[in-house]
Amino acid sequence: MLAAQVLVNAAVLGCLYACIAIGFSLVWGVLNVINLIHGSLIVLGAYLAWGLYQWIGVLPWYVLVVAAPLFFAIGYLLQRLLLNKVITAPVLVTLTLTFGLDLILNNAMIYFFKADYRKLTLVPSLGSISLGGVVVPVDRVIATAFALVLTGLLYLLLRRSRVGRAVVAVRLDHDAAVLMGVDVKSIYAIAFGLGAALAGCAGVLMALIFPISPLTSSAYLGKAFVVCVLGGLGSVSGALVGGLALALVEGVGAVVVGPSYATTLSFLLLIVFLIVRPQGLLGRKGFE
Amino acid sequence: MADTLVAEIRDLRAGYGEIQVLWGIDLAVRTGEITALIGSNGAGKTTLMRALSGLIPMECALYRSDGVDLAGATAAQVIARGIVHVPEGRRLFGAMSVEDNLLMGAYSRDIGRTELKRDLDRVYATFPKLRERRGQAAATLSGGEQQMCAIGRGLMAAPQLLMIDELSLGLSPLLVEQLVAALRVLNGQGMSILLVEQDVTVALELCHSAYVMDMGRIVRTGPGRELLADPIIRDAYLGVPAD
Repeated sequence: MLAAQVLVNAAVLGCLYACIAIGFSLVWGVLNVINLIHGSLIVLGAYLAWGLYQWIGVLPWYVLVVAAPLFFAIGYLLQRLLLNKVITAPVLVTLTLTFGLDLILNNAMIYFFKADYRKLTLVPSLGSISLGGVVVPVDRVIATAFALVLTGLLYLLLRRSRVGRAVVAVRLDHDAAVLMGVDVKSIYAIAFGLGAALAGCAGVLMALIFPISPLTSSAYLGKAFVVCVLGGLGSVSGALVGGLALALVEGVGAVVVGPSYATTLSFLLLIVFLIVRPQGLLGRKGFE
Repeated sequence: MADTLVAEIRDLRAGYGEIQVLWGIDLAVRTGEITALIGSNGAGKTTLMRALSGLIPMECALYRSDGVDLAGATAAQVIARGIVHVPEGRRLFGAMSVEDNLLMGAYSRDIGRTELKRDLDRVYATFPKLRERRGQAAATLSGGEQQMCAIGRGLMAAPQLLMIDELSLGLSPLLVEQLVAALRVLNGQGMSILLVEQDVTVALELCHSAYVMDMGRIVRTGPGRELLADPIIRDAYLGVPAD
């Protein structure tokens, strides 16, 4: 029974981890930018959900409708106005720039929202589902469902739309994409905008489950990083597999070696993967 | 139709950073013809293609297509004008399906679903093998099929001028023959083609007129058959002494 509960927990959490990581993976894969502001954007999304619920009682899943375009615009403008200026520079330069942006955003959040941990508690509570001894809170189930929907939407966008194909094309062969008439800089801005939109939406969903504080941003960033390494870079399925793998390791680790070591375990796994299988579970060498 | 130019360049200079590769190229590609560009390795043929398609910066006295000035145009502007470059080594999007590669070819055009479908069908009619493999990742195609896919992707941009760099590279003679036949059909339908080709015999037999490049300059020009019979060309590029 414990095993079933651990598995269900891992499945629920894994989908949310995938949602955290997928925007990070997209930006890394397409722009070759390690986007250190990703964690803070997630936290900002969580504050948006928390604030709107506290003030006017809007349920978080409705907030997604606002968060997606808002964060897309933030990401698009960041790329257009700042990152595109240095995009051809070595990866350390873009890394430093996103590090600086993260410092600004994170400290601004500490200034405006304080560092206190806050919790979005739905009143009345939605309760939980119990099935054969396995218990899952309903709000978690809803958050997971939306995480899967967002992941699926990104997959469809990349596969089926003209602009999505162009994003993938730029990732696969920059020069060939230029030959097709693709304006690479605007594709970069769209990809970064999508990454930010997914971060914001993930944050909105996280607000249902985890405490909210600017201090949690590095934990989100760390998880995104581990998921990308586990699953492999730049594919939607890779992020999903990586998310589930991370959640499973953490869940099993919490039972076997204790909750306080679960995170340590996941980072140990990260190191092992970087040494043994740097392309990740689903990542391919060379392309994709 | 007679003697209109689908591409005309005068005194084109280009290179990579400090290194100048092209030293004043004059070229005229006549509408409805196949024009070949031959020359040894490092003569600057690929660089010329890259300059014409807007991939690298260049200077020129004139770059015009059917009266439209293209000097200093970006790659997107060049392709919008109908000058389409099928690059050396195919450069397909390997992880994407064949059909998605073809759809990427039409990226620069603002057309609806029905038109896209019609153009896809047209490419599939030219290269039936591609229809069979439409759902397959482009990287899994054979070399010949990849070249078909690359040309098909170029056709999806609705070119006025199709520039093909190294048609035969790495392909068996039989496949080259098939591709040459396909190009003849396309040309018969009115497509202008600028062909860069290592295999000088193939190029000169196929083309209406040809340019010979050496050290970043045009050193000879004339009808394909005339050059094919030229003892100097035979000696330098065909490895057969004049008989």
